[in-house]
Amino acid sequence: MIRAATSTVKYVSLVLASIVMLLPIVLIVVGSFKTNQEFLTTGPFTAPESWTNVSNYATAFTRGGMMRGFVNTVVIFGVAIAGTILIGAATAYALDRFRFAGRRGVLNLFLLATLVPGVTTQVATFQIINWLGLYDSQGALILLFMGTDIISIYIFLQFVRSIPRSLDEAATIDGAGHLRIFFTIILPNLKPAIATVVIIKGIGIYNEFFLPFLYITDPDKRPISTALFAFKGPFGSQWEVISAGVVITIVPILVLFLFLQRFIYNGFTAGATK
Amino acid sequence: MFPQKRRRRYVSLAAIGTVLTLAAACGSGSGDEPTTPATGADAEPAGEITVLTWRTDLVEDGTFDEYVTAFKEKYPDVTNVKVEGITDYEGEVKTRMNTDNYGDVLAIPGSVTPDQLGDFFEPLGAQDELGEEYRWINDKSFEGLSYGIPVVGNVQGIVYNKKVWDAAGVTAFPTTTQEFLADLQSIKDAGIEIAPLYTNYKDSWPLTQWDGARGAVTADPDYVNKMTQTDTPWTDESDSGVIDGLLYDVVAQGLTEADPTTTNWEQSKQLLGTGKIAAMVLGSWAIPQMAAAAEAAGASADDIAYMPFPAQVDGTFHAVAGGDYNLGINVHSSNKVTARAWIDWFNHDSGFSESQVGLSPLVDGPVPAALQGFVDEVELLTMNAAPAGKESLFADIDTASGIVTTDPKYRQKIVDDARSGSRTKEQVLTDLNAAWAKGRAEVGS
Amino acid sequence: MTTAATGLRGPTTAADTPDARAAREPHPGGTGGARRRRRLVPYLFLAIPVGLLVLLTYVPVVNMFWYSVTDWDGLDKVKTFVGADNYREVFTDPDNVRVFWVSLYYFVGSFVQMVVALYFATILSFRIRFKNLWKGILFFPYLINGVAIGLIFLNFLRPAGGLDSTLTAVGLESLVRQWTGDPDIANVTLAGVSVWRYMGLNFVMFLGAIQSISSEVYEAAEIDGASRWHEFWFIILPSIRPIVGLSLILAISGSLSVYEIPKVMTDGGNGTETFVMRTVWMAFNRGMVGLASAMAVVLLLIVLVITWIQRLVLPDDEVDLA
Repeated sequence: MIRAATSTVKYVSLVLASIVMLLPIVLIVVGSFKTNQEFLTTGPFTAPESWTNVSNYATAFTRGGMMRGFVNTVVIFGVAIAGTILIGAATAYALDRFRFAGRRGVLNLFLLATLVPGVTTQVATFQIINWLGLYDSQGALILLFMGTDIISIYIFLQFVRSIPRSLDEAATIDGAGHLRIFFTIILPNLKPAIATVVIIKGIGIYNEFFLPFLYITDPDKRPISTALFAFKGPFGSQWEVISAGVVITIVPILVLFLFLQRFIYNGFTAGATK
Repeated sequence: MFPQKRRRRYVSLAAIGTVLTLAAACGSGSGDEPTTPATGADAEPAGEITVLTWRTDLVEDGTFDEYVTAFKEKYPDVTNVKVEGITDYEGEVKTRMNTDNYGDVLAIPGSVTPDQLGDFFEPLGAQDELGEEYRWINDKSFEGLSYGIPVVGNVQGIVYNKKVWDAAGVTAFPTTTQEFLADLQSIKDAGIEIAPLYTNYKDSWPLTQWDGARGAVTADPDYVNKMTQTDTPWTDESDSGVIDGLLYDVVAQGLTEADPTTTNWEQSKQLLGTGKIAAMVLGSWAIPQMAAAAEAAGASADDIAYMPFPAQVDGTFHAVAGGDYNLGINVHSSNKVTARAWIDWFNHDSGFSESQVGLSPLVDGPVPAALQGFVDEVELLTMNAAPAGKESLFADIDTASGIVTTDPKYRQKIVDDARSGSRTKEQVLTDLNAAWAKGRAEVGS
Repeated sequence: MTTAATGLRGPTTAADTPDARAAREPHPGGTGGARRRRRLVPYLFLAIPVGLLVLLTYVPVVNMFWYSVTDWDGLDKVKTFVGADNYREVFTDPDNVRVFWVSLYYFVGSFVQMVVALYFATILSFRIRFKNLWKGILFFPYLINGVAIGLIFLNFLRPAGGLDSTLTAVGLESLVRQWTGDPDIANVTLAGVSVWRYMGLNFVMFLGAIQSISSEVYEAAEIDGASRWHEFWFIILPSIRPIVGLSLILAISGSLSVYEIPKVMTDGGNGTETFVMRTVWMAFNRGMVGLASAMAVVLLLIVLVITWIQRLVLPDDEVDLA
């Protein structure tokens, strides 16, 4: 009896939660197929006259610069992730495999930095970026993404410990230098950590709004999030086009999610519990 | 042509922080050659420039593409004019001005104080000389030099849907704010879908348009200058008090949109055109946009009309005529010759001011037909420049007071308070006066 | 490359000669030169990471403290020292104080979010049908771009939009509100959107932690006749304590750094301005870098103090980097 009741509560709560999670998204999809007149005159639940009306998508793609936004995001992601991996792994390698003067200090420096939320320091970071001549360039984002990611370093540090030291030692006996050990032993053995970082970081970069909003003004250099934001002004009276733009940003991440579910979950749980 | 130019640039460079100059030296700009001095006639416009504009709608509909094509026809050596339309123009350009990267030609943001002009913008000429050719250059001049030329002249008032007002039985311009409120009420009673008056609260910049009535209420071209001389500019009779008091009253009496946080600028054009809202406080530059939106939505462009701010002095309406945004040249621009050519071309040859139903910025420019009726009934006045040596006094007090009249935030707060009733109108005006007095004390005027 | 200059010979050139091996021997038996080289190695590996850390985190923090006691406008060559003036203004200007209160809404929201996440993580850790489907639905919103989420909810919450229609359809018209327009609930609405967005992340983290509990523990509990509630209280909750602690820290710094959802949805109108929005506006639009820095310093100190308190309360939290 009680089991059955709790079971009902369980399923009812899951169904309700699913509605809450999905309804707002479903309605924007519905809206994206409507014409301007339809959008203004019909209710949000009314199905569009034609489900094959893709003209809003065409408008969003061509005039909203969504394609360029995707390309820019991919470029920024590619460079930043490579940098993050090298930096994280190098830091972890140095801190775990060597004992040297100042090691404790460096550790503390990284630990303390985890407590500084990045957004709070942008007032001052802005001046540094500007001084480097990187304002309004993707370099600014790349530098900030790879230079301030302490969580990744932390993840690498956890994983590097689990690589047996005997591997390094064997390689040393074979005459390998530290660089070679780093590239042939440490990096390949860090694959699970790299997967975790790629996923966490990838989602972070794809979703990042504040930094590109602050640092990138040239429409040709915008990543997807600010490209979508820029939509809002000129298309303010055409919500069906805005809706299409929103759907366009959701679809790629949905596809990736469906294919990589397990890795994504593992990425987050590994990143959090390691 | 501009004798003081060179010296001026070094002065301004010196005034900018070392950080900025360093960044400039690093070559963050897009230019591929060192700064070309704007030597006027002997250099031909060539190469590439970037133009920043607040008219995202004209970028969107291709009008700017046509401008660029025409400009390049006139100056074949110009390879590219990159036009960037910016929705949150004031906010974003202000941020960009913390760096060197803010285009070659841009509209000078309203919040740039006169004493900062030289740090950011290239002088375009001596004020008295340029004044013979262009109107309304006083705003963007400092110590005898002009830094910006208005793209178009506006008169300031209220754009409204004539059909809706007629249907509610209101045919004459209201002469007092009380009458205006009563008229809006009868429009509301006659049944209107959204609201008699629309604030455009969410986009927020339209709230700064209310400032256009400063000077018109008391027909005093020195009103803004006089604000620097008093601790209480927000009284029941003063322009500021009447304007912000009216804003409070319309909102408190429920004559504006029910949920201001969901307003939408692009949509407001349609709503006015189709009579779902009856009026908006905006400069005359808004007329053609509203008319176009009305037509696009299947209504008639003829329904869109213009009225003065509801206040009379000796039985006459007054309206302030002045420049819209002023185009200026980035002092860090690497192609100032072409930038200057763009400004001159834009004012003389582009046809922009005619298409925008504005007053021409040229001294001998014509009055557009659509405004002729308004101009006949209303006496236009031009605000006087600040006295020499006090050009930035107003801005200094404004900033120090924390009110920042160029920023819509304080009016958003008036709307908030009027809706929630957390402050009465008297309290709002008293608080503004107190802040202003504090600002004056700090600046030491 | 730096390797040649510092004696870290390329692996192919000398790898075969026996004395080269000896020279690179890391143990104390090696030659003096090799030891010196070995001592240099970690510094070389750390040079770039630490350089970036200092340049992009510590220099800004130090500068921020310095700017915060000046009246700098972001451009002027001269930064006039003004002492504690900026700090005084942070705490006396009601508009500045208000943003602190606004972040409380998000902080409370993140508690709600953790409770909901814990509930779903618990029920999904037991046997249940369509487990992966539920899990996917609950988690997916976290992957959506924040701007897209803002727009989705602008559409959903607009007057006569999705939410209003739903409420009307199920007979709850009386609950219809101006979701962002009513000053009493605007921040609640925005915090709710934030819960919608981040709940999935908490949920997946909690679920992962619960699933890492060995099944023997449950079996032992079952033999002892423990109820589901007991299992939750005595097995699940204790074992996920570290992750709850971590989520708590994230919740605090997260609620103080809220930006994009209110930026997209209300742009700070109607009393929804957040800390970051105000700081950015002050620094870049109003040119008051000094005051903005003072606000940022205050924010930083709050985060540090709360983290410190959290450490005192939950000392076993796993944050040991070494």
